[in-house]
Amino acid sequence: MANDKALGVDGDLLVILRHGPHGTSWLREGLDAALVAAAFGRRVTLLFMGEGVTALVPGQKSGPLGQKGTSPTLEMLEMYDIDTLLVETEALALFGLRADGLMLSAREVEAAELAELASTHSLVLTF
Amino acid sequence: MLLHILNRSPATSEVYRQALAAMGPDDRLLLIEDGVQGALGALVDRFAALEGRLYAQEEDLVARGLEPLCDPSVALIDVEGFLTLTEEAQKTVSWF
Repeated sequence: MANDKALGVDGDLLVILRHGPHGTSWLREGLDAALVAAAFGRRVTLLFMGEGVTALVPGQKSGPLGQKGTSPTLEMLEMYDIDTLLVETEALALFGLRADGLMLSAREVEAAELAELASTHSLVLTF
Repeated sequence: MLLHILNRSPATSEVYRQALAAMGPDDRLLLIEDGVQGALGALVDRFAALEGRLYAQEEDLVARGLEPLCDPSVALIDVEGFLTLTEEAQKTVSWF
């Protein structure tokens, strides 16, 4: 297909997760998109940015009305071969979190690296 | 006394400033949903002016795994406590 290159078929997908769990469905939708892409053979990079870093806080539970959280989905990422997890250093500091205290291991990236990430992945989806 | 209710995180939304600007000297602020991020030790300084009038919904902190990171200056309340705060207030004002 002529559009393959533009659609990023030959390259990697960067999914930027900018929302925390429970408050909205953005995080869940971003993870769903990542899982679908991985199931279709894409290489997926997940970037937890801003409030999105709170998705990686350990010890999350169901919501007060029994709503399912997103942490069970995060635990499945490895099964889908999504193992490139990036976390924004500035956001960790903002929320008083540390990379070694997160529920999954993620590599820290500085704000200065974000532009390069966005330009080197052929497809970028923000949630 | 009015009860102000904030459901947005001070890390991503400026609406908390509007809530603070509209609060009287005896008014209380309750953080719910994503607003509970404001109870974290790293963010609670946004609400320093409230001194003992800052509350957070415990169920929302627990669901997010954030309870252990909560600052001790914030009063945690359950849904019963939310009802009590509502009863004690003349009216409630929502910020979202």
